[in-house]
Amino acid sequence: MRPPGARGTKIGGTAIAPSPYQAEGVLCFPGKGLHMGTARIVFDRWHDRYARRLDGVRSSAVRDLFAAASRPDMISLSGGMPEVSRVPHDAVAHAARDAVRHEGAAALQYGSSNGRLQIRTLISELMAEIGVRLSPDDVLVTAGAQQALDLFAKTMLDPGDVVITEGPTYVGALQAFSAYEPDIHCIPMDGDGMRMDLLEAELARLGPRGAKFIYTIPNFQNPAGVTMSPERRRRLLELARAYDVLVVEDDPYGRLRFDGGHMKPLRSLDDEVVYLGTFSKIFAPGLRLGWITAPAPVLAKVLLVKQAADLCGSNFAQATAERYFQGTRWRRVLAELTRTYAERRDAMVAALEEHFPPEARWTKPDGGFFVWVELPLYVDCSSMLAEAVEHGVTFVPGDGFFPDGRGKNCMRLAFCYAEPEAIGEGILRLAEVVEDRLELYRAFAAAGALPAREEGAA
Amino acid sequence: MKGKIAVLMGGRSLEREVSLLSGRRVSDALEAAGYRVLALDVTADLVQTLRSERPDAAYIALHGKYGEDGTIQELLEFLGVPYTGPGVVASALAWDKSVAKHLFVERDIPTPAWITLTADAFKEMGAATALDLIPDAVGGFPVAVKPARQGSALGLRRVDAADELADALLTALSYDTAAVVEKWIEGVELAVSVIGEGESLRVLPPVEIVAASGFYDFSARVTAGEAEFFAPARITPEAADEACKIARRVHEALGCRDVSRVDLVLDAAGQPFVLECNTSPGMTETSLLPMAAEAAGMTFQDVVSRVIQAALARGESGT
Repeated sequence: MRPPGARGTKIGGTAIAPSPYQAEGVLCFPGKGLHMGTARIVFDRWHDRYARRLDGVRSSAVRDLFAAASRPDMISLSGGMPEVSRVPHDAVAHAARDAVRHEGAAALQYGSSNGRLQIRTLISELMAEIGVRLSPDDVLVTAGAQQALDLFAKTMLDPGDVVITEGPTYVGALQAFSAYEPDIHCIPMDGDGMRMDLLEAELARLGPRGAKFIYTIPNFQNPAGVTMSPERRRRLLELARAYDVLVVEDDPYGRLRFDGGHMKPLRSLDDEVVYLGTFSKIFAPGLRLGWITAPAPVLAKVLLVKQAADLCGSNFAQATAERYFQGTRWRRVLAELTRTYAERRDAMVAALEEHFPPEARWTKPDGGFFVWVELPLYVDCSSMLAEAVEHGVTFVPGDGFFPDGRGKNCMRLAFCYAEPEAIGEGILRLAEVVEDRLELYRAFAAAGALPAREEGAA
Repeated sequence: MKGKIAVLMGGRSLEREVSLLSGRRVSDALEAAGYRVLALDVTADLVQTLRSERPDAAYIALHGKYGEDGTIQELLEFLGVPYTGPGVVASALAWDKSVAKHLFVERDIPTPAWITLTADAFKEMGAATALDLIPDAVGGFPVAVKPARQGSALGLRRVDAADELADALLTALSYDTAAVVEKWIEGVELAVSVIGEGESLRVLPPVEIVAASGFYDFSARVTAGEAEFFAPARITPEAADEACKIARRVHEALGCRDVSRVDLVLDAAGQPFVLECNTSPGMTETSLLPMAAEAAGMTFQDVVSRVIQAALARGESGT
């Protein structure tokens, strides 16, 4: 079909600038008195120049589209955004003003790579409150805990290294890790968190030091909403010791507990645990402040990587946060925020009980931001997204939280950002979509026409 | 001043984002051509705005549901606002791929074999027990499964084996209440844009699409680098002529005017098959129609000016 010298038809002349296109390798053929050409039109001239390791790192275009789809009454149950409107803006303004007024020279200058001593001292005090004794020297300040995930992965991972995570797990961790091409193994959870019998089997299969690290979110896990029991925490540390594998504890939501007693962080039980913390949920994500603490030699390596990444974090943000955390007002704000999230959790769970079909199961988190819903295995939740957007509600399909395509029958619902009434209405709309889809699925199931799928349970 | 044009964009369709890009670019071109532009995101107060602003014409830069299915066209007819692009009937016919294909067959326009199944046929009539009949009905695998009414290839899947059919149908049915299962034609993917009607009708050179993933799905449509384009297409003059002739017949059979884009595939033997006709083609910097215009030596502004002039002329003549 493509003989050499083939050419197009009907050309009225030559292209006139300005053109948005970058034509490459223009083949010009002498035509009957006019110039004709077939131009290869390229929008991203560098598309074949990107590093191969990025091939696996991409966002889903369809999901981006749905995320962007807006209508005035759209109810978002998808984003895990803190309710920053409850953070007193005047207090932040004062903190920022004082940071500039009293420490302008420092706040506006480069700082030390590990962060200002004052904020590292504040972090060690916050950690002491949850049972972790640290010196400020054990702390490295990062641009949110997300940067800590990237820096740590960059420090530790070669292509093909095994990382063990919960399944499902935080999508941002999967993204941060996947840039370094590890082999991610997921361990299923139940109501008490990661299944230790399955972890043990996996560690035994891999052998001592078989995995580079075990990544866990023990409190109100994102996305599953479950909390690891004290017994499981002890067992996890025993297994990690026995198989000589590092444990990485990601704890963004630990202080947002609605019910139940305080859970000791893994780091309080074992100094070898790498702990990631953040100001995003107890203050505001806009400052991009998080931290990592790790055994001293590991932290020294991460510091080197941090220097290469950004020299140092924002002194201005750090000085502002230091001032915001002076006094006790932040504690009242946090308590109020936690009450707000608890009300929203209650609203979501109540609405699910009222409206969702009997085939659905969901978690009832003691804190944090998320409820995880499981539908029958044959259901593909991403196929409900278009209909949900049409109905004015968004959620996140479960397969994004697995590295291997499992979790299609699940969805993550965020209760953190919508008012209780909106949550009730959103769940009602979603229930209609789910019921409509289930009716179709039942028709296929009755005909034996549904393919079997592997479980992606929480 | 040449007149006031309402550029309709955005809206609630799933193609909202692309439409906003098209709308912005059309607005710029109209302004550059000397029109007063009223850029409107289509929301619940559209009718009020149109009544108070009284534009001389509306440029429809909406894509997908409500913008291409006849909804906005019926509304603008009712309000007496002349508008760009095909009218109510042509829009409604082209929007439903199944209906359009029936019309193609009636007019001897080649289109791949297909069947259509609705959600109700599954829910109420047991259509899921007949999935085994599908391959024979359309001439074997591979097949394309897609929603009957949706744009930008959203919900489109290629299916190579029987055990993937149910999933693909369920996906398609999440975008529309009907799914089309169509024989997959392997070959050269072409988009042929047509502008004008009757005497003024002009077929632009075919643009060839080479998708990195093997087919031009939604992701390839919106992600730079996932598809390559050749304008004009790298095909023989005879094949190009044939594709252009067929595109013209599609445009005329559906009763299109001003602008349309006909998507075709040339199979290995050089036989063209029409997949669908778009009555509000994308007008972004990475869209096919502007590429075709460029290859024909027309600027984007030329195209937009021609289209709006046709709408204004209809307004003046009261048709």
